[in-house]
Amino acid sequence: MFYAGLALNGLAIGCVAALAAVGLLATYRVTGVFNIAFGAIAVFCAYVMWQCVRVWRMPVSVSALLVLGIVAPGIGLVLERLVYRPLRRSGASGLLVATLGVLVLQLGLVFLLWGGRSYVDAPSLLPAGDVRLVGTLRLSNATIVELCVVALVAGLLTVLLKATRVGLMVRAVVDDRDLAEALVPADRLAAGGWAFGSFLAGLAGVLWAPIYHLDPYSLTLTVLETMGVAVLARLTSLPVAVGAALAIGVAQTELTAVHPAERWQGLVDAFHTNLFVLVLFAALMVVPRLGVRGSGAGGGVAGGLGGLQRPGARRTSRSDLVGRLPFGALSLVLTLPLFFDPADLRAALAVPALAVVFVSLVVATGYAGQISLGQAGYAGLGALFMAKLAEGGTPWLVALFLGPLLVVPIGWVTGYPAIHRRGLYLALTTFATAAVVARFVFAQPVFVGGLAIARPRGFTDDHWFYGLELACLVLALLLVRSLHTGPLGRALVALRDSEPAALSAGVDVRRLKVFVFACAAGLAGLGGALTTLAAQAFNPTDFDPVQGMVWFAAVAVWGVDSAMAAVVGAAALVAVDVGTVQGVSGLLIGVGAVLLGRFPGGISALVQRAGDWLGTPPRRSVGERRLSPAGRALAAQLRERRAE
Amino acid sequence: MLTLDTLRVRYGPLEALHGVTLTIEPGVTAVLGRNGAGKSTLLRAIAGYLRPSSGRILWQGSDLTRAPIGRRAAAGLMLIPDNGGVFRTLTVRENLELFAAGTDLAPAFEAFPDLDTLSRRRAALLSGGEQQMLALSRALLAPWRLLLVDELSHGLAPALAARLYTVLTRLAAAHPGRAVVLAEPHPRAALAPADRIHVLRRGELAGSGSPADFDAATL
Repeated sequence: MFYAGLALNGLAIGCVAALAAVGLLATYRVTGVFNIAFGAIAVFCAYVMWQCVRVWRMPVSVSALLVLGIVAPGIGLVLERLVYRPLRRSGASGLLVATLGVLVLQLGLVFLLWGGRSYVDAPSLLPAGDVRLVGTLRLSNATIVELCVVALVAGLLTVLLKATRVGLMVRAVVDDRDLAEALVPADRLAAGGWAFGSFLAGLAGVLWAPIYHLDPYSLTLTVLETMGVAVLARLTSLPVAVGAALAIGVAQTELTAVHPAERWQGLVDAFHTNLFVLVLFAALMVVPRLGVRGSGAGGGVAGGLGGLQRPGARRTSRSDLVGRLPFGALSLVLTLPLFFDPADLRAALAVPALAVVFVSLVVATGYAGQISLGQAGYAGLGALFMAKLAEGGTPWLVALFLGPLLVVPIGWVTGYPAIHRRGLYLALTTFATAAVVARFVFAQPVFVGGLAIARPRGFTDDHWFYGLELACLVLALLLVRSLHTGPLGRALVALRDSEPAALSAGVDVRRLKVFVFACAAGLAGLGGALTTLAAQAFNPTDFDPVQGMVWFAAVAVWGVDSAMAAVVGAAALVAVDVGTVQGVSGLLIGVGAVLLGRFPGGISALVQRAGDWLGTPPRRSVGERRLSPAGRALAAQLRERRAE
Repeated sequence: MLTLDTLRVRYGPLEALHGVTLTIEPGVTAVLGRNGAGKSTLLRAIAGYLRPSSGRILWQGSDLTRAPIGRRAAAGLMLIPDNGGVFRTLTVRENLELFAAGTDLAPAFEAFPDLDTLSRRRAALLSGGEQQMLALSRALLAPWRLLLVDELSHGLAPALAARLYTVLTRLAAAHPGRAVVLAEPHPRAALAPADRIHVLRRGELAGSGSPADFDAATL
């Protein structure tokens, strides 16, 4: 069945998605960066617009001019100058972390400035009313204007890039900025590209805010989900992106008219509300390769973790802090909460749980070199499996370990298709997995309704439970250490440095990667299970896909190849979250991730470098050097001769 | 024309050039040295892709040590790197149009007729030799006063390398007032057109002289 009225409603939804997709692709085409932070910039601009109109009582037209003409392009210029220009020679991963940083940073800002409140009275730029088409069919003016904007942007951009000299220069800058710098004013062109990309984000935010209500998360997520459309267009074709967005919008509303048997209704509902997530997931599975500068060929360092890791750091032997074990000091600090007062101890319960999740990220990203934004999904699944097992009669203590073990095969299955992907592509795939799991499992009452969570017998007291958590953390660290040393550790280092080289050296790359990925998924599951037990409730918000991004950024900031830094990072994150208002931790992580290009390897590398610097013995002059008796005689002779 | 004054360049903890002092005069200069001797580092530092840790770069009396790439290019310095001298996602014609900056493309097509037939192909799909031809076309299309060519024969068959050198030699001969610097690990190709030789060894200038002074076996 096809309903024309529904299709027109769907067109409105599709328009919003098309605007996001066109914005994403346009930014990608003029800057070469797939800007995951697009949604966050949009949200920020929408909030500024709201502030201008509702608080400062400025006229809508003036504030629109201010936001779209100054604020949005200004954000782009600042980002280009401070974030992306220093990163221009780092690979896809470095850029990815930076965009993640910008996302987290801007969300943190919104939380700080506006307290994360959502508003329904966002000022609208679009005309009210609608146009009658045929019979009772009506198309709202807003949709018409949006369609025009989408067509205009897509058309203009295509003409500009294909047919003008400026377009050619922009493409040259995106292709190879170093080479372009000698031929064209590359810095100015790149700045212009970013200003334009941010302008589009601001435009999208200002147009959407009145349609959805103004809310920090929902708009960001909307954009993240429409990435599927951009992937379908292989990050290149604007018409495909627009067409796909409109088609999905229409399909989504048409699905509301499908009424199958009672027991399937829930599934159909989940389908039509989450069609964009599904498309993202399916597109990533189907589309073989992304765009011009994507993640596979080209791009230079795309395979490696350019910028994330300290170059040249040894990893197999004891160079890692786990190996060196300032373990004593750390474990002393971690046992401190046992002597806190009850409220603080309760807050501290989150630390070891989060630390286990962070360690799993170190395994996936630091050791195997795979960017995983989907750890939140596996963490949630671990918690869910544990709860279900306990419901089935398994003792909680057994379920605590059995549940995460069940996540390992799931990590294996979901990791397998993603495994030959790299950089941006892998990141998106893992994010899509987490998003699908969040929407189709964690958000479905069928799966998570009426879960009773109880701590294992004997560990119900906070003190004892904290001890259990520490034991789990130590277990996780020991597992990580075994992955890190010996032949397996060497194979992993080889794999991370150069995949073709590892392959030709006889490393079974695919199996190794899936194995490590599955291990990481299991560890994340353990962390999730502990989180749930600590809170004694299953909160789907703990395992939100955006949360996974924040975690990844945090681990990257603390140093992606040090398990010890991950533990410290988890403690710091919890401490900041508990001790300050919401948004501060996001701001700090964001700033750190954005600056990561300037200190590769994150905080742990900085600490290590400082340690190396303190540890180097001061250089002694020749005279003071320890010499053998013969040497001393020679030195004496030399001195005599010089004296003459 | 160009004077380097105790130029030092380092990559993190590793110093690649330990204070090189030399002058480059109009005509063809060959910079020879083994792999890792610092040839590419020298050229990249002159063109502005690497920032020297100390020392000065003087170009016709003005100090370019801290100048950005764009200003050096405007002053007439042009580097053709050993690979990556082309925009890989653009077509051959688009590459040439960028190089030419509005002037006629004919000189490139005359020197390399192959490029004409390939003009609609993306540079990434060209063979290594074709890419080098395209990269060298930049010197034919845009004006320059100091041309820095890094390992023109990099990974090329001897016949093709000879062809590229012929084009380059002719170009240098047509503009006697300009300077060309060739960096080569393999002295045979670069010695013939060179007026002057500088030999780098382990980041230091090991010697300078005319091609007649130079014994290829010592490199």
